Amino acid sequence: MSEAQFKTHGELIRSRQPGHGMTGELFGRQDVFETDVDVFFHKHWILVGVTADVPEPGDVSTVDIGKASIIIVRDDDENIRTYRNVCRHRGARLKEAGKSTVGMLVCPYHQWTYDLDGSLRHATHMGKDFDPTCRSLIPVHTRIVGTHIFVCLGENPPKDIAKLEETMAPRFAPYDLKNTKIAFEQEIIENGNWKLVMENNRECYHCQATHPELTASFLPEDFGFCPENLGEESLRALEDYKVRNAACQASWEQDGFVSANVEWLDEDAVTQFRTQQLVIAGNGESQTISTKVASTRLFGNLQRRDLGDTHLWTHNSWTHVMSDHAVISYIIPLAPDKTLVRSKWLVHADAVEGVDYNISDLTEVWVATNNQDKHLVEITHEGTQDPAYSPGMFSPFTETYVDQFSRWYAARLSAHGI
Amino acid sequence: MNSVERIFEPVPETTDRLCNADTWESGGRLWPSSVKQTLTCCRVVDETHDVKSFEFRTSDGLPVRFEPGQFMTVSANVQGQSVERCYTISSAPTRPYLLSITVKRVPGGTMSNWLHENMRPGSQLAAYGPSGTFTPTAAPAVKSLYLSAGSGVTPLMSMTRAGIDLGLDRDVAFVHSARTPADIVFLEELERLAKLSPRLRLFFVCEGVGEEPDWAGATGRLSLELLSKWLPDYAEREVFTCGPAPYMSAVRELLREGGHDPARYHQESFDISAGVVPEPAEARSEAAQETFTVKLSRSTKSFTMNASETVLVAARKNGVSIPSSCSQGMCGTCKTKVLEGSVDMKHNGGIREREVQKGFRLLCCSRPTSDLVLEL
Repeated sequence: MSEAQFKTHGELIRSRQPGHGMTGELFGRQDVFETDVDVFFHKHWILVGVTADVPEPGDVSTVDIGKASIIIVRDDDENIRTYRNVCRHRGARLKEAGKSTVGMLVCPYHQWTYDLDGSLRHATHMGKDFDPTCRSLIPVHTRIVGTHIFVCLGENPPKDIAKLEETMAPRFAPYDLKNTKIAFEQEIIENGNWKLVMENNRECYHCQATHPELTASFLPEDFGFCPENLGEESLRALEDYKVRNAACQASWEQDGFVSANVEWLDEDAVTQFRTQQLVIAGNGESQTISTKVASTRLFGNLQRRDLGDTHLWTHNSWTHVMSDHAVISYIIPLAPDKTLVRSKWLVHADAVEGVDYNISDLTEVWVATNNQDKHLVEITHEGTQDPAYSPGMFSPFTETYVDQFSRWYAARLSAHGI
Repeated sequence: MNSVERIFEPVPETTDRLCNADTWESGGRLWPSSVKQTLTCCRVVDETHDVKSFEFRTSDGLPVRFEPGQFMTVSANVQGQSVERCYTISSAPTRPYLLSITVKRVPGGTMSNWLHENMRPGSQLAAYGPSGTFTPTAAPAVKSLYLSAGSGVTPLMSMTRAGIDLGLDRDVAFVHSARTPADIVFLEELERLAKLSPRLRLFFVCEGVGEEPDWAGATGRLSLELLSKWLPDYAEREVFTCGPAPYMSAVRELLREGGHDPARYHQESFDISAGVVPEPAEARSEAAQETFTVKLSRSTKSFTMNASETVLVAARKNGVSIPSSCSQGMCGTCKTKVLEGSVDMKHNGGIREREVQKGFRLLCCSRPTSDLVLEL
């Protein structure tokens, strides 16, 4: 690329034609990637795990996010605490990425020993004038919503996380998601830019042809459709859906569930999210092939199975909470063309594998869907890096959320001076 | 490095900031906790016989943003040594032009004595920006219970001042413990604030009456009984606690006993006492005299010892090196599986019950009670 043609990150996003995709450089360029990590993963609230990652006091989950790394630990009072994974002595990493159990957090280098409340409890050979009280581990801004652990690494965490909390806490409450365990975890690396991963998650235009397992239970009508080309059968299905949706919503509301959709996604949002209690097809119970529950031990004290799918989008995650299990996925960008996607399947803490649920029925839909999405993201990333690529138009019916994500992305960059 | 720091001669203000339009043109600025700047002392207030408040302005006199309850780290060169200490900002962010810290003079306390002796109007002090999460934004609280002891009153004072400056009348019960009535910091101001905000209620408990035999308030220590008497609804309150570490752990225990939800308990974290007292090497009775054999499973080595010393110390004496660090049962470096036999372990949090159940012990704080085989 000649210097004369070089556009800055800001110029690239501002020159996006409204209603069209982003240019290939926004997916492929190293400098764009680095700014993205800084703005969207270090200065915004991101999902980094669930409380069941650290089920007991002393359990540690370490998550790397770009050059930063955080330690999530459950302390002896059952509080979830989070710290920067940097020793206050000479900076060594206290923990490698992954899970472990500790008595205290001990630096492997000189054994500086931190209590789980972050305070430096022990450091040898530092002399009597050494004051350990100013050398506590650096805490990270953290909010637990249901079971979701959100963190913000920035100095000034966006205040509108409160909106997400206020909206989601009552919706998650009946499911008692803190009283859950991880039945299955999956980690995949998609060879594609993180924005393509999120864009793919924001539309179901591709679902009918590529996600046979998911579409057994998932009804895409809530996410837009073009009424013009619908055949008679589809129109009938749409009518059925509307009737069913109204009936479900009424019945849920009657039982005290909050189901209406809330969208905080556009340019005025900082901590963007969307939620809704979505109707499930078929038997209406869960995101399984049979559309019935995969675990007969329901969450909390739930009495009914047909609670649909309480979904949550954030800019680095997607969540589906059903009466019997939840699937929570979040992403962490690794390189311009590499994105880590972590998914966790939660069931009631007391559910017993082989008795209440089996792993294959529980995970079949989203294991297949994630793999299909990985392929879609990868072919798209590759194509956008081809000199022949020029961004095409989004469907004004089924891809409005993708366009909205692009607008939000531009607005957030601009707010950070890009 | 702090070598350039010294006490500057007091500098009189050259401009009248009150009359300078620049003073009023900008709102509070962000002062990141990683950034050091020099503050100038404007005023020193005697709060009690051993507590002073030091009020500072920034070098340009412009206001600073922070959250009530946050602390700043002050840095000084004391007798050739660079010393840093965290002090809560006792003033309220609603009065952002003055930052104050309130410091009790502690016998032998390097920084507190230095501040008491050296800070006067015009003196300068280096400090890092506000930091800390012990603030009201930690949790929404319809009803709060502030529990403080001694100079631990400072973050709660900042929160109280801020709430009232915002024009609020929040339901706050402020229970402060002091040594004697004369040691209650901010007593007069708190009483004045309580008049402005009827839902702010004050309770004091003093260990002794000191020079005030007429003290009508509570004496002794804070107890569940006292708390239930004053505040029957204490379990419904979001608790914010600050004080010396033993006070905070006593309060925590007391609330736990009283059925208060630990999720609604918040305490200042940096104000910890430095270390733990290692277990005194007691002279043990007969058991100490009895001789035990310790075998290592991965080699042919073995040695004998008695219970007067720990397995770690005995191993070292016998040329067996085991990774270790704190020798106090905290850091967990010497964690080793005991394959056979039993030990008496007195650890300090360096090992989990789950690990103990799997047979692991911390050798630095374990004494044999039988012959042992170690996985070493």
